Amino acid sequence: MRGYAVAETELSSFDRQFHARCALQRPDRYRLLDALPADAPRIARGGGVSYVGASFGGGAISQSLDAFDRLLAFDAEHGRLTVEAGARIGDLQRFLLERGWYLPVAPGHPRASVGGCIAADVHGKNPARDGTFRTWLDALVVQRPHAEPCVVDREHDADLFGATCAGFGLTGTIVSATLRLARPPRALVLRRVPVANLAEAARVLREAANAPVLYGWHDGGAAHFGRGVVNIGLASGDDHDRADALPPAAADLPARVAPLPFTAWNRAGLTAANRWLDWRWCRAGQAPMTLGDALFPLNRARLYFAGFGHAGMAEAQWLVPHPRFEAFANALADLVARTRPRIALIASKLFAGTADGFSFDGNGVALAIQVATPAAHGERAFLDALAELAIAHDGRPNLIKDSTLEASVARRAIDGFEAARARLARHDPQRLHTSELARRLAL
Amino acid sequence: MTAVVVGASSGLGRALANELARCGHALLLVASDLRDIDAIAADLRIRHGATVRSLALDLAREADPGARVAAALEGLPPLASVLLPVGLSRADDDFGLDAARIGELLAINLHAPFAIAHALLPRLREARGVIVLFSSIAAVRGRGRNVVYAAAKRGIESLYESLRQRHRETELRVQLYRLGFLATNLTHGLALPMPAAAPDDVARLVVERLRRGSARWYLPRRFALVAMVVRLLPWPLFRRMQS
Repeated sequence: MRGYAVAETELSSFDRQFHARCALQRPDRYRLLDALPADAPRIARGGGVSYVGASFGGGAISQSLDAFDRLLAFDAEHGRLTVEAGARIGDLQRFLLERGWYLPVAPGHPRASVGGCIAADVHGKNPARDGTFRTWLDALVVQRPHAEPCVVDREHDADLFGATCAGFGLTGTIVSATLRLARPPRALVLRRVPVANLAEAARVLREAANAPVLYGWHDGGAAHFGRGVVNIGLASGDDHDRADALPPAAADLPARVAPLPFTAWNRAGLTAANRWLDWRWCRAGQAPMTLGDALFPLNRARLYFAGFGHAGMAEAQWLVPHPRFEAFANALADLVARTRPRIALIASKLFAGTADGFSFDGNGVALAIQVATPAAHGERAFLDALAELAIAHDGRPNLIKDSTLEASVARRAIDGFEAARARLARHDPQRLHTSELARRLAL
Repeated sequence: MTAVVVGASSGLGRALANELARCGHALLLVASDLRDIDAIAADLRIRHGATVRSLALDLAREADPGARVAAALEGLPPLASVLLPVGLSRADDDFGLDAARIGELLAINLHAPFAIAHALLPRLREARGVIVLFSSIAAVRGRGRNVVYAAAKRGIESLYESLRQRHRETELRVQLYRLGFLATNLTHGLALPMPAAAPDDVARLVVERLRRGSARWYLPRRFALVAMVVRLLPWPLFRRMQS
């Protein structure tokens, strides 16, 4: 497409479950951002690291916001940052930490963009304490085709503000945002609490609800299902535990991890990895933790992601309310014992918020379950059964994580699905913003 | 000392602005859209504490861009360098342009660098400053594509020679870069015969060499060989390449 910096390219989701040849625009100036024909379907693309096809597909032109990564205003006294939406979270954390601030809610991948974090309303290392990304968002600017940019916040056009957070880019292109910052912990220590099962993990998580870092790792194999460790990152006053530096950008996990030519995470590989992790980490103890490790644990997971091979992985993420969690965890253990899926990892986190629209929030415990070779019959059947089990226990899915979720399941699992969908439609009546995610879930 | 970057909103110009600010230069950034250069200026102030001023100029239509740039320098530290990575190419610059479009290409690629260089010469000579001009591998030999663009860039090479011939090295330094493919939105999606260089890498080299004397360089360097081959190709062979 002449004059718009658009070219055909092959894009794929981070979990490798969706590939498409699509038009990718690389605007490097504001006028190019709004230069596409008025009726051209489009979707903003930040770091391109979402597990699902949220920034391409569905016949849309992907608009890369790579060039829109500038800091527009920084109040070093009160901790406010206005930044363009293409800025990478890892780069921002490096900038802010040098100046005594940080973003307390950050996704695990440092190449995620600010716009992507808003569009997905991501959670960080302890959503029960820090909320989700929108908690720290004061205002944003949304560009809609051939219209003046809209500046919105909780008072001015609160409906568009609410719809844009966890709106998956479907209300318009997020151009910039004003974020509130927090003072980082001067130092961190990581306390490890071994747990025998998921129910015990939930109890430990609830007891440590105020820790800056809080998550569990669990064995997903049938033999030791749920056994693992809850990691509690605590602020420390000890200068020996200094945490306030991040490794350089070159150490960031790449947007695309080259897969191994084979699937390392077969049953034998997963059993061996779980035994090693069990031996290495599932012991009570305490050790200093760097903020880099706390904020971006995925930087150390390059080999882990490569190990899924070309078949990739899928992550099902369900948030189950506290009163139903123990029953859910027990039923899940039974399901795994029956079906023996290739679960590579289970992570647990505590939530204490209120869901709005399609956001992944609520009051309960979330499990992220990563499954190898998700297209295989057994794994697919497990993921379907997991969804039914979670819905039966009032679970809420994370739409931005799970590429195997079907529209009918999402509609049943999310209270107010139709209302949230109608809200998106109000802000984009022509449905010009679309993506593979929007198509698959009929958003 | 102040550096002027014309065409600072994207690609190499933006990379140069960033590198110059990182190295402590005060900046006057010139581009057509204030939204872009204001954003860049804010970013450079926040990241590097740089003194940055923005000037929006439509070089395709501005009658006297040199005067506007000179006026915008008032109040800034003395001028030490003028970098002119400004440029516009069009996919239909293959004898398919009307007179207005030809004029636009010439205004941006040729008239603006000439006018700005002329207007800023007195200030540059006061500080034994440097003018940095940017030509293109496209100017090595005229082809059936980039017709006007290549001719304008050939004109820039002539400007380089004239400036050097007229001014002693002790009063003005002139540097010319013949650029190969850069990874900008102009090359996005094109099937290039060679890998494109990152603008940040090119900008680092250009800023490093600002202290040097007058010279002409290819960037990336491998394009010196490409230019030599293109220049030496026998006419019948070169002509066949056009199709």
